Amino acid sequence: MIDSDAAIRADVEAPSPERRFWYPYLLIAPTLVTLVVISLIPFLYTVYLSLHEAKYGRIQGFIGLENFGTVLADGRFWNAMGVALVFVLIAVPVEFMLGLIGALILNAGVKYRGVLVPMMFIPTMMAPIVVGLLWKIMFAGSWGLLSYNLFERFGILSGTSIFGSPNLALYGIILVDIWQWTPFMVLAFFAGLQSLPVNPYRAAAIDGANPVQVFFLITLPMMAPLLVVIVILRLIDAFKIFDSIFILTGGGPGDATEAPSILAYKMVFEYWEIGEASALAVLVWLLFFGFCNLFYQIAKKRLNAF
Amino acid sequence: MTDIAASARHRAQRSRAVTALAIVYTAAILFPVFWMASLMIKPDDIMFIRPTVWLFEPTLDHFTFLLHEGFLWHLLSSLIVATASTILVVIIGTPAAYAFARFEIWRSDDLFIFILATRMAPPVCLMIPFYLIYAKVGLIDTYIGLVLAYLTFNLSFYVWVMRSFCRDLPVELEEAAMVAGYPRWQVLVKIVFPLVRPGMVAAAVLCFIFAWNEFLYAFMLGGDKIKTLPVAIPTLITTQGVRWGEMSVVGIVGLLPVLIAVFFLQKHIVRGLTMGAVKG
Repeated sequence: MIDSDAAIRADVEAPSPERRFWYPYLLIAPTLVTLVVISLIPFLYTVYLSLHEAKYGRIQGFIGLENFGTVLADGRFWNAMGVALVFVLIAVPVEFMLGLIGALILNAGVKYRGVLVPMMFIPTMMAPIVVGLLWKIMFAGSWGLLSYNLFERFGILSGTSIFGSPNLALYGIILVDIWQWTPFMVLAFFAGLQSLPVNPYRAAAIDGANPVQVFFLITLPMMAPLLVVIVILRLIDAFKIFDSIFILTGGGPGDATEAPSILAYKMVFEYWEIGEASALAVLVWLLFFGFCNLFYQIAKKRLNAF
Repeated sequence: MTDIAASARHRAQRSRAVTALAIVYTAAILFPVFWMASLMIKPDDIMFIRPTVWLFEPTLDHFTFLLHEGFLWHLLSSLIVATASTILVVIIGTPAAYAFARFEIWRSDDLFIFILATRMAPPVCLMIPFYLIYAKVGLIDTYIGLVLAYLTFNLSFYVWVMRSFCRDLPVELEEAAMVAGYPRWQVLVKIVFPLVRPGMVAAAVLCFIFAWNEFLYAFMLGGDKIKTLPVAIPTLITTQGVRWGEMSVVGIVGLLPVLIAVFFLQKHIVRGLTMGAVKG
């Protein structure tokens, strides 16, 4: 009996070494070929374009790093980076704090979660362009629900439109982002809380720890890797914001909400500066590659996720 | 004894309070959606009246747009593109996800980061080469072109998330099947795929939603023939004014698959949106 079992196993495990070696590569080949065609080649083409004089779609001579120099010396590039930085540095921490509070509340015995949780996901899962539309309606001119009932009626900011004012437009966009992504943070953190082991909490209860101690000494340290991973993910996502700005302000007024994606879009489709836009794209791409690497390493090592 | 009763009462009170809080929060964040829905049936002449009119005679005027201005064509474009790209992703990506989950692959870490970076890259970065290459080979305003473009974010997403689902399967089942003499491909078809199907459906639904929601590629690579729903929204901001009612209709119709998906996917959403890093 044991012998025949071993015979079967040997038969299964070593039919032909070559085939076994190729087998996984056969399975991933379609994916890799597709990704090389639609991702690597376009990327290399962008690098090629960034090193050439290319305006109005006509590609002329090789000019080395000149496009990069032009972009880095351009005030609009730094304005775009500044817009992205302000946006990310306000929106993400606010979403983080609200998300953490929300998750703790949700974890404290909320009933009807089967209905509430899916409903909370709606903003996050909505098309960003529809999100933009939604808030365009809420703050529309002098009749929008919020622009009239909050601003006009009580005389705060009366006569100004939040997305039409250079000082306020970016904060309006930040508000919209917080609306859309706080629920995601709540639910992601909540998923993390639910997966924490029970024993440390039992031990803390026996030792008579108060809720604040429990939170800072047990919950927070155990949640830390998950929190970091989610924040990195949100940073990546927030940095590439395009759709909602496109419909709410189009990058304006002036360049007040001109995030990097909006700037790159305008450089291509309004000024046709293909070479410089490609240089900008390469710079953004390098930044993202760094972020992705960070996300992967932390999630893999600290969350054992992948 | 009274201590326990008091603590139980305390817990019930707390539960009621946090439940109320959660309901208020959910209602508040969803309020703009209901407001947009109300604009669908609000007549144009009272839409702009101040103070805000809350009760009105509903009208179907904005819906006539659906029938007369090519809205159904937008809807059809969206459905075709999202469905086709999702099916393609599942066919191409499932074997790869399984292979990444089960086999030692040369430089798999680097490959993962490449796949992840493809998923995370801002679409605007891929925009330039896609637009120029498509213009050259005539793929602008074609279904194939748009579906291919959607593979950039969806294929990488699907492979990444499905790999995490595949790794949840106990490897012993596959080993047992192989010991019983099943060839590898039959193990895949008869054991792995049926077991991983819930994850597959969840990942595919998310891919569908991503494609359905996508705006920039559709806007730039589409044209007269292919106009998806999100692209319809900015076209309603006309020189004669913004057509709020019609935009609301498009927005709400665009929301329908999302509504179905959130109730259907539940805990898979967190896992999907965090690329499998957080198991919901």
